[in-house]
Amino acid sequence: MANPVPPPPAQATEGKSASSLVEAPQWADGKPSFVLDDITGTRHDLSGSSGRVVLVHFFATWCEPCREELPALQRLLERSRNSGLAIFAVSVGEPDARVRRFFEPMPMNFPIVLDRDRATSKTWRVEMLPTTYVLDRDLKPRLVVEGEFHWDRVTGEQLFDTTPPVRQDR
Amino acid sequence: MTWNRRNFLQAGLSTSLIAALPRGAAAQHVFTPKPDAWRNFEMVTRVELAKGQGATQAWVPLPSFSEPEWTRPMGSTWQTNARVAALVRDPKYGAEMLHLAWDGGEAPMAEVTSKFATRDRAVDLAKVGTPTPLSADERKLYTGATELIPTEGIVKQTADMITARARSEHAKARAMYEWIVDNTFRNPKTRGCGVGDIVAMLKSGDLSGKCADLNALYVGLARSVGLPARDVYGIRVAPSKFGYRSLGTSSPIISKAQHCRAEVYLTGLGWVPVDPADVRKVVLEEPPGNLPLSDAKVAAARTTLFGAWEMNWAAYNVAHDVKLPGSTGPAVEFLMYPQAEVAGARLDSLDPDTFKYVITSKELTSS
Repeated sequence: MANPVPPPPAQATEGKSASSLVEAPQWADGKPSFVLDDITGTRHDLSGSSGRVVLVHFFATWCEPCREELPALQRLLERSRNSGLAIFAVSVGEPDARVRRFFEPMPMNFPIVLDRDRATSKTWRVEMLPTTYVLDRDLKPRLVVEGEFHWDRVTGEQLFDTTPPVRQDR
Repeated sequence: MTWNRRNFLQAGLSTSLIAALPRGAAAQHVFTPKPDAWRNFEMVTRVELAKGQGATQAWVPLPSFSEPEWTRPMGSTWQTNARVAALVRDPKYGAEMLHLAWDGGEAPMAEVTSKFATRDRAVDLAKVGTPTPLSADERKLYTGATELIPTEGIVKQTADMITARARSEHAKARAMYEWIVDNTFRNPKTRGCGVGDIVAMLKSGDLSGKCADLNALYVGLARSVGLPARDVYGIRVAPSKFGYRSLGTSSPIISKAQHCRAEVYLTGLGWVPVDPADVRKVVLEEPPGNLPLSDAKVAAARTTLFGAWEMNWAAYNVAHDVKLPGSTGPAVEFLMYPQAEVAGARLDSLDPDTFKYVITSKELTSS
């Protein structure tokens, strides 16, 4: 299980992360962004979630830990239903048909968006799956988790707290 | 299996362990491909898609890779109700495919018959000669990064660690091969042949996968230390003649027999065939299954598959990041399966319920 640590500001380093966990993302203007279709064909622009705490969870259907985390994210969303949490699950580099079929037996109440050509995951410097970014209400990155994480142990309050998180030991 | 620093030691131990094995251990199983007679094969790929779904396209990889010493493509013919059926070639790697397009109406169908000849290959690793040198463009191509095979960062760090004590190209190539055999494993749960995302493998410590993962890891490591290397994507077409059930087909239907191999170019030797992924396949799948590395069949495969291939296998291409002509969708990481799109949406080549294709092979008279 990965330990969540705050990422450095995107502009702090030129392509190198101070934390060694993640290379600095290459977002335009230093702000996380994406515009992606979901599996129903609806287009989602991350900027529309400004004002909410957002989890952006990069995954693939072939990724075994991802298969367990996705239902856990669904449960987190349900626990945080009155707090305005938003979650996007970003499928990386897979055909639409495969992703749709994967979710048929386990529908989620958050958008499953499709990074078909991996351009978004590349911009966000996603190097392993799953990788999850937690963005604050200004859509600034507050946490990044590389690897699996037990979201059932996280409360909404912890996500919304702007102080550094308590480290989660394995 | 999680790779950790202790595994570094295995890079050094593995070679000495192999050297220390009693000669009888490897000698108990004979696995000695030699470039003797050519074998002729015919492979038929039949694609059928659902009727009335809208504009449809398909791309069928063809066994077009040509190397005069071990693989000779002999052309493809086809029957189809497609409006468009054209042989096209990827401009970067020369990967050949049949591009088909239908407007809608009848159920799309195509049957492609390909003929080719193969001959077992074995490089005499002790005989340094003057092989055809790589051109500057080839060297650049086969030492360069691809979307999923970078040659810097953790890939280079890992390769540098593995080859720290190797003084020659051959020693480096061998060290990386042995490291993959020792530290990776074939995962039966991996869909198809895997994805080949080697950074994800190294960063997560999950060094499991199938051939497109494990051999891509070899290619990435080799390229990162300046050794030209390439994946060779293909499909198994016949049983093994050396008694390996896991290294051959068990029926004329080979729809799921895709297999990726690898080569590394060494000065004085030329392209050297390697296949550490198949060593791990023998470990996992050779009856009775889950064999130790010390097993005679595993040891023989380990020895042979650095420098030789049995050619019960057809080579499609060496292409990465293949843009499918006529598609507005993303490039495919590699072209080893038929691909299709309906109304612009890419189908899943690994889901027979939604994308039906059957591939069969038969051996023709040998020359």
